[in-house]
Amino acid sequence: MKKLSFLIVLLSINVSANSILIKSGQINDGLGNSFIGDILIVDEKIVEVGKFLNSPSAKIIEAKGKPVTPGLISPISNIGVVEINALDVTNDDSPDFFGPGFSVFNAFNPHSTLIPWNRSNGVTSSISTPGYSSQIFKGMGSFYLLDGDIDITGNADVAMYARLGAIGGSRAETIQIMESMFELALNKDELELEELLGTTFASSMDMQLQDIQALSRVVNREIPLVLEVNRAIDILQALRLKNDYDLELVLMSVEEAPLVLDQILASGVSVIIDPMDNIPDSFDELASNIKLGGILSNAGIKVMFSTQRSHNYHLMRQGAGNAVAHGMTYQAGISGMTSIVADVFNIQDRGSIKDGYFADIVIWSEDPLEPSAYPTTVIINGSEISLETRASRLTERYTDKRDIPSSYKH
Amino acid sequence: MKNHLFLAFSMLLIYSCSEDVEVSQSSTTDAPAKSTSLDRDPFESNYKPLESERTLIKSVNLYDGLGNEYSNFDVLFDDGIILEIGKDIVDNNATIIDARGKWLTPGLIDIHSHMGVYPAPSVRTSSDGNEATSPNTAEVWAEHSVWSQDPQFSLALKGGVTAFHVLPGSANLFGGRGATFKNIPRNIIHDMKFPGAPHSLKMACGENPKRVYGNRGSAPSTRMGNMAGYRNAWISAVDYQKRQNEYIKKSDEAKELVDPPRRNLELDTLAGVLEGEILVQNHCYRADEMANMIELSKEFNYKITAFHHAVEAYKIADLLADEGICGALWADWWGFKHEAYDMVPANIAIVDQARGGQGCAIVHSDDEVGIQHLNQEAAKALSAGLRAGYEITKARAMRWITSNPAKAAGILDQTGTIEIGKDADLVIWNKNPFSVYALTEYVFVDGAKAFVRGEKELQPVTDFDLGIINPSDERASL
Repeated sequence: MKKLSFLIVLLSINVSANSILIKSGQINDGLGNSFIGDILIVDEKIVEVGKFLNSPSAKIIEAKGKPVTPGLISPISNIGVVEINALDVTNDDSPDFFGPGFSVFNAFNPHSTLIPWNRSNGVTSSISTPGYSSQIFKGMGSFYLLDGDIDITGNADVAMYARLGAIGGSRAETIQIMESMFELALNKDELELEELLGTTFASSMDMQLQDIQALSRVVNREIPLVLEVNRAIDILQALRLKNDYDLELVLMSVEEAPLVLDQILASGVSVIIDPMDNIPDSFDELASNIKLGGILSNAGIKVMFSTQRSHNYHLMRQGAGNAVAHGMTYQAGISGMTSIVADVFNIQDRGSIKDGYFADIVIWSEDPLEPSAYPTTVIINGSEISLETRASRLTERYTDKRDIPSSYKH
Repeated sequence: MKNHLFLAFSMLLIYSCSEDVEVSQSSTTDAPAKSTSLDRDPFESNYKPLESERTLIKSVNLYDGLGNEYSNFDVLFDDGIILEIGKDIVDNNATIIDARGKWLTPGLIDIHSHMGVYPAPSVRTSSDGNEATSPNTAEVWAEHSVWSQDPQFSLALKGGVTAFHVLPGSANLFGGRGATFKNIPRNIIHDMKFPGAPHSLKMACGENPKRVYGNRGSAPSTRMGNMAGYRNAWISAVDYQKRQNEYIKKSDEAKELVDPPRRNLELDTLAGVLEGEILVQNHCYRADEMANMIELSKEFNYKITAFHHAVEAYKIADLLADEGICGALWADWWGFKHEAYDMVPANIAIVDQARGGQGCAIVHSDDEVGIQHLNQEAAKALSAGLRAGYEITKARAMRWITSNPAKAAGILDQTGTIEIGKDADLVIWNKNPFSVYALTEYVFVDGAKAFVRGEKELQPVTDFDLGIINPSDERASL
């Protein structure tokens, strides 16, 4: 079996020894630069970005001044682990047994319909995360390339997810539990795991070996902790935990962040926000405001984007567009969907249009922050990807006016 | 037939006055009192527009909501009514707004909102949208749940929404009555009710009712159970309507009330649908179920005004056009449940273009964030339609968020387009409204400045917003 897959890899390298030259794109490289230029791709990588590039053997794609960006990276999604939310047999994002030790990694379905849909809308990779959990730590998310290949390209367990705030019980106790769990994880090397698991706290929290191992990765700064938090004072508590336990912290949602802007800036944490959510959904989010993205970004805080709902992770473009309409800079909007996500989650050599990086590239019909924009070309790992989706197949079927049953239109 | 019944009903209201002498004597006005046993429109609108001034908007680009686009046009309104539309209008008495390079549209309308019944914050103490205690709660009225201090109203207003229809949720086969509101936040809900707007009846197909009641081991637990539930209710309603109309006829002939039948709030609503006075807003996702609902409406002789959500409307777009049923749709929501799995982004465009453009497509929100960006949702739907090969102008797509929802709410005579004689419900945008960068600058409701960007005193602040984070401040400036 191993030999067979090895052979396939060799063959595919030979077959895919290809090169693509994108000519005259309005390149937004994800690093804050915008210029008209060409991009030469050989095999999986970008080999040159510049002007008047030539390559006799390359396939030429004329961008004709249209916007070109790195493939978008969703920092928080359900792609590959949830097919239909309200149908539990299609959900693999929630643990029954593990807490922080839960990993979604092995659940990823490369044939999920969310993959063609999201990549045809410009999302070339994503972090799929644990979903609903009654626990404070929801578990770890993993990074995946959305090429749909059964031979999955991804990084397991790139971040830990947790939340703090109005979720039932006292938030004071939530903080105490987090601290106790961190303490436990910090003791991992001094005490035998069995001894740790036998403590009253660990056993009454039903903690497993995997939970302590995962938390020790957090307190050892191997992976960031993405903490969903909204109330201003809770944000300060989160920053205190970062200091006390030397965490690599990412804050999520942070709807009351403008009230503690200086402290967030000083801490150096980055944030994931839904810039369109200006609803005071809970008593933790009273300062909710559509200007959040601009306020944070203009203060110098790195901003990434989540979306309103599941399934349409490309709508972070619309979120970024609204953030820009309300004060964020355009390039901060682009970087927040590309290079910043790659940086924060240690995704190597992706998220920017740069020599030596993997060629995950999108050419757009118009300004990608406009909701009416769509990709005309999507390249993942140097290969042009079909833009066909189940939705495009259904559209073709039902706009076919032949007078025969729809079941025969295919 | 309908006209005759309506006349008989009106006459009866007059007779009923004489029966209620004692009640009307206590009234200080001379207006005839209505018998509560027959008043089908209690809790009526007490809406009064904000004070307005005669205004002339100059040199604006304009989508009229009927499908037309004009450049460099002027619009004059006074006393809440649009008086003149055209080029080079001169009026020495009007306040002039120079809107060169900007865009004017009708006030946007959302046909599917739960503002007020699911207000913010979303907490159980004010979660009042679903009376999920029986599959038929046609007797409940959404307006009786609306919290007038919902901060979502002002956010929607800032997004250009001047009128919205609030529906009960979809837990039940018959969820209850919906009502339409002018978006001027007031502290009494009847001061917001859209004058003369009909009620609706919220019906729901599919997964929600069968899940809610099936999980309790009661009917319905299947889609066939759903259908049986509707049919049984309509059988009772037909019977009730017959008894009511016999009573009206007898009283009409005798010129006095003869044996009034006992009223039933649930059947009042259903009979109102059969009389054509209450419009059916039907939550339904799947094409096959919508076709069943159309057959059902024919069996009991009522009209479906709109299918809501209708993720599969594109599969039966011609049927919807033939039946004159609107599709109130999202641009791209999908996958959150099984019946929402077959989404196509061209759904709205396909419904719009059915039978050579005879379809009625509506962009609805069903969402407190979406309602603030109906223009962006229309932009996505338009883009998908163009990709699917249709030729649709932006001016036509503007109908999806203005005149078409006005039609489905039964308020098209008053609002939803920029036409002489209509309510001056208008929005001035700083850029083309199909762009994500477009922001509202002025929102007029009945000719009054209900929202002006950058002018704090012309932005509503609810009781909820006031002093809640910091006593000397408002919750969040718009």
